[in-house]
Amino acid sequence: MADHNDPNAVNHIFSDIDYSPADLYDFFGWPTAGGNNVVFALTFASTPAAGVLDSDLLYRLLLTSHPRVGWPDADEISLESVLRYFDAVKDKYLGELKTAEIRVTVETPSRVMVKFLGFNCGNFSTVVEVNKVVAIPTPDGQMIQAFIGGRDDAFFNDLTGFFRSINYAPQFYHVPLTMTEARELPIPKTLLELEGNDLFNYRPDMPEWGFTQPDGTTPKLDLPPGPWTWNGDKFKKDANGNFRFVYDGRDCRAGQNCNAIILEVPHSFITPATADNRLVNGWGESWVRKAAHKVESIPDDPSWLMHPWKAVREKELDEELRKYKLVDTDGQPFADAALSEREDDRQLGANNFWLGPHFIKRLAHLGWGFGPSISALGLKTSFDHNNSPVSVYKTYDLVATAFPRVAKTLFQKLNMPDPSWNPKGLPIPLRRPFEIFIPNVCAVDMDTSGTWPFGRRLEDQVATRFLSMFLDMEAQWNGKKYHIDMLGDQALWNSAPIVPKTPPNPLKNDKEFLDQFPYLAEPWPENW
Amino acid sequence: MNEMASQADLRAPPLAGYREELERAEKDIAELESRRQRHPGDLEKRVRLAYRLFHRASLTGRVAHFESVEGAVLETIHEFGPKEDLCLLKANLDFRFHRLAEVRRDLQMSPLLWGRFEGRVLVADLDFQEGRYEAARRGFERLIEENPTWDNLARLGHWKSKLGEVAEADQLYVEAEDDLTAKQMRSYAWLELQRGVLAFTHGRYADAWRHYRRADEAYPGNWHTDEHFAELLAAEGKFQEAEAMFQKVIARSPKPELQQALGELYLFTGRLQEAQPWLDSALARYLESVWRGGVHYFHHLADFYADVREEPAEAVRWARKDIEMRSNFSTQAAMAWALYRNGRLSDALEYIRLALSSGVRDAGIFSTAATLFEAAGENAEGQSYAGVALQINPMHHNFHMHH
Repeated sequence: MADHNDPNAVNHIFSDIDYSPADLYDFFGWPTAGGNNVVFALTFASTPAAGVLDSDLLYRLLLTSHPRVGWPDADEISLESVLRYFDAVKDKYLGELKTAEIRVTVETPSRVMVKFLGFNCGNFSTVVEVNKVVAIPTPDGQMIQAFIGGRDDAFFNDLTGFFRSINYAPQFYHVPLTMTEARELPIPKTLLELEGNDLFNYRPDMPEWGFTQPDGTTPKLDLPPGPWTWNGDKFKKDANGNFRFVYDGRDCRAGQNCNAIILEVPHSFITPATADNRLVNGWGESWVRKAAHKVESIPDDPSWLMHPWKAVREKELDEELRKYKLVDTDGQPFADAALSEREDDRQLGANNFWLGPHFIKRLAHLGWGFGPSISALGLKTSFDHNNSPVSVYKTYDLVATAFPRVAKTLFQKLNMPDPSWNPKGLPIPLRRPFEIFIPNVCAVDMDTSGTWPFGRRLEDQVATRFLSMFLDMEAQWNGKKYHIDMLGDQALWNSAPIVPKTPPNPLKNDKEFLDQFPYLAEPWPENW
Repeated sequence: MNEMASQADLRAPPLAGYREELERAEKDIAELESRRQRHPGDLEKRVRLAYRLFHRASLTGRVAHFESVEGAVLETIHEFGPKEDLCLLKANLDFRFHRLAEVRRDLQMSPLLWGRFEGRVLVADLDFQEGRYEAARRGFERLIEENPTWDNLARLGHWKSKLGEVAEADQLYVEAEDDLTAKQMRSYAWLELQRGVLAFTHGRYADAWRHYRRADEAYPGNWHTDEHFAELLAAEGKFQEAEAMFQKVIARSPKPELQQALGELYLFTGRLQEAQPWLDSALARYLESVWRGGVHYFHHLADFYADVREEPAEAVRWARKDIEMRSNFSTQAAMAWALYRNGRLSDALEYIRLALSSGVRDAGIFSTAATLFEAAGENAEGQSYAGVALQINPMHHNFHMHH
């Protein structure tokens, strides 16, 4: 199972589990053509190779468009209000919302079937070659740009730093798959190293510890016998009084590829009421063919191939999907990696509303780790940690107990760094964390630039932006309100008592993105 | 420009199967061996190597390959200590070879393993092997409730197949199959073989053929599937084809039980001279395994001395050794048969009653019971068991292998 936004996908951290083409990496979405088109990109593991797809896979991009309606109780900061919100989302996704779908099945490693289902112009399909930009005409006379194939992985992130911050042992230690209690070790999560934390602090004698090397190996240590505890009471400081950052800002995905389904779709193809339906929600799913149907599929029914424009009956499609098993979902970056603890049975896609209460407890747990770290750096945090001088390990059984700590983090509006996100200057409300992560979709606002959290553009440093949720957005730094890119500002780190003096994650991708479709860069050469 | 294709290649390539998987396993092993030479301290890769060796051994069934696994596991435990994943692998290896006391020791080496999901699977397996049927069933059901993995569904299916819930067993196998993806075709084929065996042991040969063929189609080239084909051909009286198939399988996997099966096929068809070399070889291999400390072939030795060589005292000796390790309906029935052949009818009756008290519904065991009860003059009971044996499997007198 993939770890969204985590191309190392949790399973691969373990020693005996291979990469799978069902491991979804990221889901991107942003408007183009002045808000008339929308681009969606679903990226996943390049197995068997970049540009070569696995014929047992089926991928779905699910889309829905609706008006931008503000949550009426958004200013009522209460547990009841947020729980009502989760309920409303549930009703919406289980009830009124009509979801259309772009389904990709792999006919051969170099040809895929693309089916458009549930759109207003009727169902249709086409076969396209991989690794080529193709234009797909729609029955209502529009044109969709498509690229399906290998690209440079558009994700840039200090994954090892993130794992260090949440004490994720399998990245650093040999942890058998059976030892589920030895994944996130029960010591405080933190952005700054803890004095005497021998489990995760940087080791000068082993600078590559926990970093995956070009040959695919990761230097690890033998997990010491438990109990795994930390009994200190302060952050670690060097002789110069500097904290040590758990991140070093390197791009752990540099030089690596993905496979991708990239589509640029007219908004009017998704909804006829484009003026009203200014939001386009999207999310992705991967399905693997069931074994029983692998046998049956030889030979396959050629009707799809002979009649690519043939309308599809709903019944047949349901039958098709029943031949596959849902493996992974992806909508919002960090919805799973940081908030759902990467548990397989929580791979729910948009329908993650039932995780709402868990989301509050998890956010509070993270807050006790990250909040004091932020305060120690002299910054203001949105998390109420009772002025704790150091990170604290705390978990919650009750949402009601967790909520007061995390209320501000949940409800605060996430400030944007500048007005470029809203080029039309429309009265679009800033987004709040509870709206961003529930439901687990990439919600593209067609009147914005589509930068996260109003979608997700390729160049968005979403990992650093995720951390910014724990900043107090009412505070100011250098005469400017805190915003979601503040932790990516080198000047902040230059002035902070910390080493290394770097933003937590790289500021840009290892390859330049393209300024035209398919936007993701060409793949790196592969040796096989 | 629209580069849409109007027609794709319609013919899917044949499915990858045994050969491709073995090649991949060999390649991985070579790479991991090379890494072991260069970085002997890389525990993770050493563990991976041990698992890959086990994977290869499971594919080939060769003793030498299993010995390599054992060597790698012991060496790695010696160097790095009883790591949980190594202990789990060793426990699985020991279980496969009926070293049940060792399985317990393996689980104890890494104490938390007992409580793990994977550890509890082995505990339920031990319960079944040691005749605690209800505990085994409850164990499998609890595991399935917790996480309905295909292998545990199959375990419960096996339990039900032995205890007479045939339709439920098949349904569990179907459910297990539904959990598998196209990336697990070997497991799917294995499940199809179990469904085929279920049909075969109930005399439904056409169904058995269907499942065996499906297994072969799903995972081509597996000698294990051919072994089932050979038995079924022989049961149907297609002896020449069966002989050829057994020889083909033995050439690929020279397991002594297969050599015994071929020898018995020759006996069954009155070709005594041709039978002897195969039976001699099988016996030599069984005894060689015992000399090397193995216990896996006790059951086969009991059968062999009871029916093939007709040295019933030896049969009793091996059956006793087997039952001392794992007292279950299978070992109890084997003991009963050996005792009967050795002229100890009253002792034999005790053991067959013990086996029957388990609730097992097996044509072979019921047939043994019928013979024993009739020999003891309990004709009504004997005829009753003979009748039920026929109900369960009208073909149970046909050729079959000793599993």
